[in-house]
Amino acid sequence: MNAGGFAGLHPLVCFIYYAGVILLGLMLAHPVYQLASLALLTALLLLQRQGRTLARSLPYYLLVGGLFAIVNPLLSHRGRHILFYMMDQPITLEAVLYGAMMMMTILAVLLMFVSYRVVMTTDKFMYLFSAVLPQTALHAWMTLRFIPLFARRFRQIELIQRSRGIDMRTGSPVRRLKNGALLLRILMTWSLEDAMRTGDSMKARGYGTAKRTAYYPYRMDRRDRATLAALCALLLLSLAGWREGWGLLTLFPRMEPIRLGTLEWIHFALTATFVGMPILFETKERYRWKSSRRSA
Amino acid sequence: MDKRRRAILIAVIIMAAGLAVASAIWDGHYLLLSAVAMTLAMTPLFVRFERRRLEPREIAMLAALAAVAALGRIAFAPLPSFKPTSFVVIVAALVFGSEAGFIVGAVAALASNLFLGQGPWTPWQMFAWGMVGASAGWLRHTRFMKSRIGMCAFGLVWGFLFGWIMNVWSLLSLPDAFGWELVLLTYAQSFYFDLAHAVANVLFLGFFGLSWVRLLDRIRKKYGLLESRSVRR
Repeated sequence: MNAGGFAGLHPLVCFIYYAGVILLGLMLAHPVYQLASLALLTALLLLQRQGRTLARSLPYYLLVGGLFAIVNPLLSHRGRHILFYMMDQPITLEAVLYGAMMMMTILAVLLMFVSYRVVMTTDKFMYLFSAVLPQTALHAWMTLRFIPLFARRFRQIELIQRSRGIDMRTGSPVRRLKNGALLLRILMTWSLEDAMRTGDSMKARGYGTAKRTAYYPYRMDRRDRATLAALCALLLLSLAGWREGWGLLTLFPRMEPIRLGTLEWIHFALTATFVGMPILFETKERYRWKSSRRSA
Repeated sequence: MDKRRRAILIAVIIMAAGLAVASAIWDGHYLLLSAVAMTLAMTPLFVRFERRRLEPREIAMLAALAAVAALGRIAFAPLPSFKPTSFVVIVAALVFGSEAGFIVGAVAALASNLFLGQGPWTPWQMFAWGMVGASAGWLRHTRFMKSRIGMCAFGLVWGFLFGWIMNVWSLLSLPDAFGWELVLLTYAQSFYFDLAHAVANVLFLGFFGLSWVRLLDRIRKKYGLLESRSVRR
């Protein structure tokens, strides 16, 4: 395995981390927790060299999240602290806060997926997927293999049919639609007959006679097990704290102060350690690289 | 009632019950619960597919169908929402049944997202497209779905329903603001995309629906694919 840092861990460990981040992101509703998560996820993305991707997609993410932050106070008038009136409708502090918290939740999930796309590559995802749903995974694998093949075939069909005057790019919209569908139909018949041959060759090689096996380069080593245990323990502690009401800002009927209590600080630290776990691996990787260059 | 219908009904009921429980008891965690409910709703359908012993030819064919559906999504990517994906899924379901329709729709969504980028929307799209296929397969022996008009109406309804399923999460995330205004706002901002999807479905199904069904039906008969067999693991 050449992927270093967090991506070098076993796929299951990475998957549990991302699932946990989503879970905590959706369950915890406290501005302090959410701001910390956002900061940690941003730091992780920068360490994973996703700064440019982040800069490109952040405006869109802010737009999506911002919509929630704006819409909620305009439509919800629950709460005691009235900030001001807009068109005779009270804008309450609670509704503004709730909208902002929802925006941070959505942002956290979207940011997490930027990192997820880097770490959980298709083969890692399919490795886990095939453990749960083998037949569906095989189906998905074959679909994945067919997509680029069919895309090439589609271009070939396009070129050949253009010489007959069947073209998707010229003519009236109806003409284009008809031509496009004709091309798709040719692709369909060609590919289905081809799929029959693929199926026959699979059968000839003994598909279905025994359990299907595949080679994957992932081994659960001691570091993976230790990380997995730490992640699980932190997640469980975080969830246990959530049941105590920590990490939740009560807004109704009466808003509680935003400041955290002593025990809540400990809970906060545990949650932040969980969310920040990959940063440890990424910084260690960076440090190693730097020190190896220095000594060389 | 055959088993296939029962699986779909169970899926819909679980989804509805999950949403109801989410809104009734668990104050404030609608998003999470809706995701859990949706996953639970898909589980029986996936399990049914897993337990079915398929010939390699059948798997290859289902993969080819899903790939054509996914390719439609990627090839038409510059045109937002105007895509033949739902059309391919519906036609496949009309010929091969609801189970095949579900799996083609769900896998097409998953596979195309592996190319276009995964996100929190992936499971929702898998569910929505899976349900497009499942419901089309469910209605496939009715007179309604054998007529051109019926197919177009089905495509029109699903064009909007698809977008509405994708809207559910944005409604659920603002429970305090929930009301006709939020509903109106959400559905108004997705209206153009839903309309484009619906128009694409109607055009594709109206012009090419019947001929594609004939085409796939011929292949199904010629190779004897996915005939109802009692062999189960």
